[in-house]
Amino acid sequence: MSGVTVRFGGHQALTDVSLGVDEGQIVGLIGPNGAGKTTLFNAVCGVVTPSAGSVRIMGRDVSNLNTHRRARLGLGRTFQRLEVFSSLTVSDNVRVGVEIRQTWERRGTTARQFLATDGNLPVDAEVDLILERLGLGGLADVPVGSLPTGQARLVELGRALGARPSVLLLDEPASGLDDPETADFGRLLTDLAGAGLGILLVEHDVGLVMDVCEHICVLDFGSVIASGDPEVVRANEAVVAAYLGAGT
Amino acid sequence: MRGIEGAQEVVKIVVTVSLMVALIFVALWIWPEDQAHPLGNLVSTGELKVAGVTLTGQRLLTIGTAIVVAIVLRFILRGTRLGIAMRAVVDDRSLLKLNGGRPDRTSMLSWALGASLAAVSGVLLASEQAPSVIPLTLLVVNAYAAAVVGRLRSIPGAFAGSIVLGLAISYVGAYTPADAAWGPIALDNLQRAVPAIMLFLVILAQPQVRLRAHSLQRARRPMPVPNQRLAAIGGLVLVATVVGIGSLMSGPDQNTLLKGFGFAIATLSLVPLTGYSGQISLAQLTFTGIGAVVMASWGASGDVFWVFVAVAVCSAVGALVALPALRLSGIYLALATAAFAIFCYWMVFQQQDVMPGSTASVPYLKIGPLEVGSDFGQLVVLAVAFAVIANVLVALRRSAWGRRLTAMRDSPVACATLGLNLMSTKVGVFALSAAIAGAGGALAGRTFVVDDFGLDQSLPITMLAVVGGIGSVGGALLGGLLLGVAPIATTALAANAIGVFRVLQRLGHPGDLGHAGLHGDRPRAHPRRCRSRHRGRLPGLLPLREAIAAAIVAAAALWLAARTELIANWGLFAAVVVLAFAVLPVLPAILPPPGENRRGRVGPTAVWLVVLLAVTALIPWENAIGSTGFRLIAILGWTVLGALTTLGILGLDPTGRLNVSGASPDHIGLDSSLGDAEAMVAAAEVGVDEELLSVPTPVALEVLRGGGDR
Repeated sequence: MSGVTVRFGGHQALTDVSLGVDEGQIVGLIGPNGAGKTTLFNAVCGVVTPSAGSVRIMGRDVSNLNTHRRARLGLGRTFQRLEVFSSLTVSDNVRVGVEIRQTWERRGTTARQFLATDGNLPVDAEVDLILERLGLGGLADVPVGSLPTGQARLVELGRALGARPSVLLLDEPASGLDDPETADFGRLLTDLAGAGLGILLVEHDVGLVMDVCEHICVLDFGSVIASGDPEVVRANEAVVAAYLGAGT
Repeated sequence: MRGIEGAQEVVKIVVTVSLMVALIFVALWIWPEDQAHPLGNLVSTGELKVAGVTLTGQRLLTIGTAIVVAIVLRFILRGTRLGIAMRAVVDDRSLLKLNGGRPDRTSMLSWALGASLAAVSGVLLASEQAPSVIPLTLLVVNAYAAAVVGRLRSIPGAFAGSIVLGLAISYVGAYTPADAAWGPIALDNLQRAVPAIMLFLVILAQPQVRLRAHSLQRARRPMPVPNQRLAAIGGLVLVATVVGIGSLMSGPDQNTLLKGFGFAIATLSLVPLTGYSGQISLAQLTFTGIGAVVMASWGASGDVFWVFVAVAVCSAVGALVALPALRLSGIYLALATAAFAIFCYWMVFQQQDVMPGSTASVPYLKIGPLEVGSDFGQLVVLAVAFAVIANVLVALRRSAWGRRLTAMRDSPVACATLGLNLMSTKVGVFALSAAIAGAGGALAGRTFVVDDFGLDQSLPITMLAVVGGIGSVGGALLGGLLLGVAPIATTALAANAIGVFRVLQRLGHPGDLGHAGLHGDRPRAHPRRCRSRHRGRLPGLLPLREAIAAAIVAAAALWLAARTELIANWGLFAAVVVLAFAVLPVLPAILPPPGENRRGRVGPTAVWLVVLLAVTALIPWENAIGSTGFRLIAILGWTVLGALTTLGILGLDPTGRLNVSGASPDHIGLDSSLGDAEAMVAAAEVGVDEELLSVPTPVALEVLRGGGDR
């Protein structure tokens, strides 16, 4: 995306933000609360309309497309505040993702696949595969509403994977996970990226971000204040002042 | 209203509508419609002539009050802390709370303020118009038509809207005399449809609501997926019951029951729309009306082909209405459908070409050489149609599309980010729902009058569907039958009785009380619910096969008793029915055979059964319900509710499985760090017996949790 600006009334939530995610790349997006990270996600997905700037998916300008059209071009996301289908079970959550994808895939839109499948798996098999990859296999028939936050976030991720995106926006996916789980989750992200998925990761767990991201972008008061490799960002004084310093 | 704060929009709207219906009932009860209550003017003297217009004191008072109220209101909303808090509640309730505001109290004050202003307007209106309860209540449409101009937020906007509306009504009245027509369309009722037309147009001009992430923050009670086999059995039982009871009924009663079933199918149409996908429509009976009219005017032969035509027409009209209306959601969608209902009532159904003599005679059904010749035959047709549609809906809920609808209700924004076209999905479910409602009209096989299809009839349908359990086919049957058969006062009374039953039913689930019926979606921090997936013999109940055999024998005996008019004491009879169907099946759970443990909450259940039997015997069935057939239906409905409530108190869900949500960790004195689901998983990991897992009684849970920790 480039030059994205979002205003809410008089408040400028995002000012001229530009960043890109390549195939197979994990980009971290960090910044203090209220920096505009979630707003940026919403702008990319088409949930809010930017007042300036453009969003491109695989080279195609999608700025004027609806949320669901963008999703069909390969954009997937999870939410900071959970948006699971809480009256359905874990497996049904993922199944809905797969089934929705099938409705539009049949209409000729192509989506890139990243799971190691032949692409034409039966729904049940694909759901099982996703659940297994996320370590949710034992919870398939549990209502999502009764899961703790960390696992519900994984369900959201699984649902998004069911739509086989090429770019995935993850909004604080690791909050609610304990340390070993976070480490597992980091490996999962690396695996997904290894399969060709581009990931934009918003996360407060700076350790995780530093571990898995090749590129990090720091947002404060709606503007990018630093970006680059983890080492570069870690060394940047403005970042330390705005964010890391406050945290530690 | 506190209980529904933060609930889904649908629930809020329906609760408000139910309140309205209940208040109409109370008002009619206090001030019967057949007594006049003349009112004098508040100000009887004084007149003012301005530019040839005479203003009475009363009107001057009205104008003055309006101006003062507007100014004061603006001051309150803009200039005081309270007003700012009120606006903040609308914007972001949780943020207000975080900042030390008190959203509950603020909302309460907003309600109070709104209600008092409405009361002021009532006082002022009273002397201008002769108010009667229902038209006065439906003035709410005029009020919204005006207020929506200001997007429900701006006082000057609302003021301008009301002036435009008032002028439009007056001008249309002046320019459309009694015989005015536009081509073949009579315009004599145009004046009355003006508010609805304006409301619809203004709503359509609203900008599309934007998708909101995390607009809902709640743990939802998982809705059990309906069981296809149970639905099929239920359908058979329904048809058998209708045949049995219908044959006992007099002609006029059968005809009334036809309407009841037509309306029951209309209520059924809300199951996919509101129950599955969380959309709202207040115009379902309008579609029923369209179905009936199509059948009456084109398909007078009764040929089944015309039923399909009627269904197709309704479906198309439904999609057409939905297409613009669905850009909106919540309150705007409800208002748009209400406006559509009013418009059709005045401008379509009142046309002499559409409903000659304000009636529509729907013929009996004819399929090829097979012809239905009587109300009774048509009744069976309707029962079969209801059973078939209900089964299709259950199958739908279990299909990919059904899952998608549920997902859309839970989180529209998440569905959109998965690539779901929300618009076409919504239009689809709207069209389906309109088609079902239309089928109810086209198959009713009786004569309808215009007033059957008014908004005041559609509102209770929505309410009853929710009270009976939206999303459940049985609830639709109950609600629709009630409305079609009983006068509105009885309907409201019965709805309240059902509500009480449903609350009682939840008593077996502490911490879960808020889920009764209407209040279905209260947030819970950690929903602990996990059902056994174990199938088989219902614990502590009669074995299924024997129970079914006993029920058939009992039903046949009852039918014979009613047929031969053996029944003299209806209270005793009702008590016997309740004893046979609601008490005996659960007795083994309370008084277990030697060697077996008692299950569930025995004490409260025993008390409840005694109360149920006593109340059943004391209800004056014979005086309350004049006809034998309806009395039987009422007793059956009462028994079913009683049985469900018994199961609920005992701690079983309606399919007879033990429900562990009653087993709160505090209750059994254990560490609450594990949820039930987690406990199950933990238990599976440490290798606890599968059989034990399938019966998670409090004791079993204790073992599970202990097994997980130690």
